[in-house]
Amino acid sequence: MDGKPTNPAQKRYLARFIPTMAVYVAAIFTVSWVFNRYEPGGPLAWGLALLPALPLLAIIAIMGLYLREEGDEFVRNILVESMLWGVGLTLSIMTVWGFLEIYAEAPRLPSFWAFPIFCFGMGLAQPFIKRRYR
Amino acid sequence: MKNRLKVLRAERDWSQADLADRLEVSRQTINALETGKYDPSLPLAFRIARLFGQPIETIFDDGQA
Repeated sequence: MDGKPTNPAQKRYLARFIPTMAVYVAAIFTVSWVFNRYEPGGPLAWGLALLPALPLLAIIAIMGLYLREEGDEFVRNILVESMLWGVGLTLSIMTVWGFLEIYAEAPRLPSFWAFPIFCFGMGLAQPFIKRRYR
Repeated sequence: MKNRLKVLRAERDWSQADLADRLEVSRQTINALETGKYDPSLPLAFRIARLFGQPIETIFDDGQA
């Protein structure tokens, strides 16, 4: 989806997405600050490290909800196709880089990057998919 | 799939946006349907047929008949 929201499902999506991303940004800053200042360890570190992941899990659920609520099947179709491109890009990069790490001592790519890569692939694919239907 | 959406729409003097509103879909969806590049689901095809008061097979042509 792009531009301004045009239907209730898209408005609901944004109403969920924006505050959740705000929580994510706040969680990143807070957790980084806590780790820098207090250097927590053990179970506390695990708990704190999970905090920024929770809003991102919520984002995944929010994307799923939008897919279910979007009443325009063509719009839904484009979104699903772009998600498949995102999945394809993520799996490709992770697979290739994984072997480079194992055999060629490539620097470690944190698995955290899987989701941003997915979103990037999804966003990149959308205009190309839309152009096919023009 | 070929279809007569553009003709039916023109007969009623509706814009793509008018038809989009009546079918509760986006204008880009109407465009993709009219160019024949996107085939509607059966429920949407029925909605289109009811809106124009014609059977589905007089609106859409799968080239098999």
